[in-house]
Amino acid sequence: MATQDEDTLTGPVPDPETEPTAAELAHARRFAELVDKTLSGRTPPAMSADDRALLEVATVIRATRGNLELAPGAQHAAVEDALRQAIGTGPQGAAPVTSILEARARLRRRAPWIVAATSTLAAVAAIAALWLRTPGGAAHGPPVAHRAELPLEWTSRSADALIGPIARDHAGDAGARLDAIFADRLDGFRGFHEFRARRLTRGGKP
Amino acid sequence: MKYVIVGLSVVMAAALAASVACSGEREPAPAPATRVPDPADVADPADAINQELMIALGQAKNFHHKAKVYMTDGNLPAATASVRQILSLHFPRAAPEADDVRNDARALLAKLLMSQGQLDEAMRTIDEGLAPSQRESFFVANLYTVQGELHEARAAALDAAGEPSKAAATDERRAAITSYDLSIQINERLQKKLLEER
Repeated sequence: MATQDEDTLTGPVPDPETEPTAAELAHARRFAELVDKTLSGRTPPAMSADDRALLEVATVIRATRGNLELAPGAQHAAVEDALRQAIGTGPQGAAPVTSILEARARLRRRAPWIVAATSTLAAVAAIAALWLRTPGGAAHGPPVAHRAELPLEWTSRSADALIGPIARDHAGDAGARLDAIFADRLDGFRGFHEFRARRLTRGGKP
Repeated sequence: MKYVIVGLSVVMAAALAASVACSGEREPAPAPATRVPDPADVADPADAINQELMIALGQAKNFHHKAKVYMTDGNLPAATASVRQILSLHFPRAAPEADDVRNDARALLAKLLMSQGQLDEAMRTIDEGLAPSQRESFFVANLYTVQGELHEARAAALDAAGEPSKAAATDERRAAITSYDLSIQINERLQKKLLEER
């Protein structure tokens, strides 16, 4: 005698317009529960061969409709396998590649430290730069006002460049050397004051 | 813990921002290389050659001329007195020419005193010039040269004094060599420096 299962799978296909029988409804309800349990990971350890075959078909149909999502771990394992194959390393014997999830989690754990370290470094660098760029440092007195430099010939300066080394034979010729210094400084003095006078006559500032 | 670290980071960032804001003073813009220096822009040309310096130089020049006339006349004490007056001239404060002119006057003064046999006074004149000299110059080197001549003159005087002074004469000659060496070293350094500046 054929069982109900055999009837379901091997019996004649009922007309779509035919009202389901109570047995068929009960069987459908039971199978629906079985499918729900399977999808929620609670597949019964024992079931009839027909139910198993129907369940496989239901699973395949569900997967082909595209609504089936892999668990995150399985997804990443699949991606990593694909990547390993793309870069030419086999899945066997290769060093375990850190999963994206793990990397993200690690990054999330380390982010505060990274931010803190970066901020500290930037602050230290800024303070060092401020300290180093202080002209002469605070210990070297107040800053000197910036002003235009005079041409050298208009300034009071050492006479070394003008006189040069003094030979022993001329050690006592101070008068002659002073004549040279005086003439040179007089040129500078006149040049400076003539320039100023010209500026004044042109209406420039003194 | 995470929030503490983030909080510390925020405080650090705020401190950084504050320090940057406080350093608002900007570097002065560099003067254009093509700009002609304008003394009219100079608020206080403290290092410019001024009238005070020219007057002091002119007075020193006159004292030297006067001393030369006395020397021509053979009046060495008057020439010495004239040169000595240069040492008390008033120069502008921190004018480098003041040191140069005074050191040169001391060299001449020492030679005048040496020619009058006043070796100790001559040596004192040189030593007084070398003591405050913080800046090396050809005039300082010249002082060392005259110092060497003085040591030589002392050695000659000690030699003339006889056998008991021979050791002292040797010391004076060594001192003369030391002075000449110092003069040479200063001259070499300054010449090298001047060559580098050109």
